[in-house]
Amino acid sequence: MVSKSHRRTALLAVIRRLLEGVGTAWAAVTLAFFALRFASGDPVASLLSQGLASPEQADEIRISLGLNAPLWLQYLRFLTNLLHGDLGSSLYTHRSVSQIILEQFPSTAVLAVSGLIAAILLGLILGITAAWFGKRASGMIAATIAALATSIPVAFAGILSLLIAGCLLQGPGSANGMLIRLILPAMVLGFASSGPIARVIHSGLSESLRSPFILAARARGIRRGFRLLWHALKPSLPPVISLTALEAAFLFTGTVVTETVFSRPGLGRLLVKSILDGDFPIALGLVALAAIFYTISHVFADLLTLVIDPRLRRAE
Amino acid sequence: MRFGFIKTLCVLWLAAIVLLALSAPFITSADPYTPVSDMLQSPSYHPPLGTDALGRDFFARTAYGARLSLSIPLLSTLLTVLIGTTFSLTAITAGRLSDRIILTIANAALAIPGLLLAMLLVAGFGPRLSTIVLAVGLGGIPGFIRLSRSIFLGIKEMGYIDAAYALGASRTRVAIAHMLPNAAPQLFSLATTHFAWAFMGTTTLTFLGLSGDPSFPEWGAMLNSGRMHLIQAPWLTIVPGILISLTILAVHYLGENYADN
Repeated sequence: MVSKSHRRTALLAVIRRLLEGVGTAWAAVTLAFFALRFASGDPVASLLSQGLASPEQADEIRISLGLNAPLWLQYLRFLTNLLHGDLGSSLYTHRSVSQIILEQFPSTAVLAVSGLIAAILLGLILGITAAWFGKRASGMIAATIAALATSIPVAFAGILSLLIAGCLLQGPGSANGMLIRLILPAMVLGFASSGPIARVIHSGLSESLRSPFILAARARGIRRGFRLLWHALKPSLPPVISLTALEAAFLFTGTVVTETVFSRPGLGRLLVKSILDGDFPIALGLVALAAIFYTISHVFADLLTLVIDPRLRRAE
Repeated sequence: MRFGFIKTLCVLWLAAIVLLALSAPFITSADPYTPVSDMLQSPSYHPPLGTDALGRDFFARTAYGARLSLSIPLLSTLLTVLIGTTFSLTAITAGRLSDRIILTIANAALAIPGLLLAMLLVAGFGPRLSTIVLAVGLGGIPGFIRLSRSIFLGIKEMGYIDAAYALGASRTRVAIAHMLPNAAPQLFSLATTHFAWAFMGTTTLTFLGLSGDPSFPEWGAMLNSGRMHLIQAPWLTIVPGILISLTILAVHYLGENYADN
């Protein structure tokens, strides 16, 4: 029976965490804004140096972008516009940045979500195999694959997968569009992000397998497979959830590389292109959104762990 | 001290890479920037690793590439460690308020993934090789501050720090003469794992073409340009890819097991 005061403290903890998240997102966006300004100096300078604008036109652009205003005023404008979902417009095409991002979003979202699913599945398989078989050959192999997953750059894993797929399918550009367009990239992204998950499950499982409650389950006559997959796995799952939130960050930088390797349209390639072109509003908008998204997933994971893990609820 | 088989392999591998970087002009006479023969030649007696899409000796590019690929993350790690340690040491010794401020800023910055922060800085500085050093170095600082701060936090609890204060040492003296030397081994281990991150980050950024000029022999950039000829000349991507992966694997392993003995 949960008492009323108990419920209130839990609610306070949730609200506190939400407010913290808002504060972090605000600070991160602020930092991104000032880091870019600190690094770039004059955003219009790249247009000038490329001969895309005459000095008079550059002045005009500066005025239209509000770059002649003092920095703090620009920052306030950026922040209020951001709250209204307005990220400014591209320096080159003058199209709305939020619209450009919205167009590319679905492609990246599909890739990231399927990559995340692949990462969790692969991490679970590798981690459980490594813990169950321990020092035997199959356990060592699973642990080695998990170590390789963290060390092989996404770019190289992607290229290798293309090479292998190319050999298996006899030549590039064969009819297997779906394979090249989604399954292969998602698997590469999942492989690259599965290492830490596998590791956490491996250590968590090994630890709970040594705990007395597993011995007790054994004494009650519960079968080995059930003991492992239900009793021992359950307490090692909450850390995996917060880890998955951390992975969301890695997933985004991973999609940048994966989209480049597989020539897939999306936010990652948009970011690379905007950096190479010097199109600041797009780069800043993408990083700001990534920071906000990352904070949200973090807060969400924290709350989810609170719901799932009764040990944490009692401690609150 | 036990020195395992895998650890020996890791040290040998890293020594070989460093040797390759140092002795590049002696083991190959070819210039990494000028074409020597036809393009996309297969590995043979001469040139040993064939040629790339512009007919440049690929072995020479790989060897000279070791110089850039190792020195860029090394420089940025140095930058990160210097600035990060200064901030975390200040946070721990200079009082509650400064600790609060530094930790808050570092935590906010951590909401932007390090590599993304580096990309944002490259966007600002302009895509060049020199700016990648700066961007990866600065992008790693928030994470380094948080981890090194917890190292100093552990040292601060030690009895000899109280003793130093009791003997009348100033905060600066305690920080520089007592905390820093005692944290050195742990900081070194942290810097090693950070180097693996910086190495991975650098090759990622150069792979994405953010070094501006693709003619530089650097493993990440080579991985990118070799990709166009994946079927005719797979060694152009496999060689730099394996070199990058094994180096990260070795540094990771050594960094993680350094604390054990």
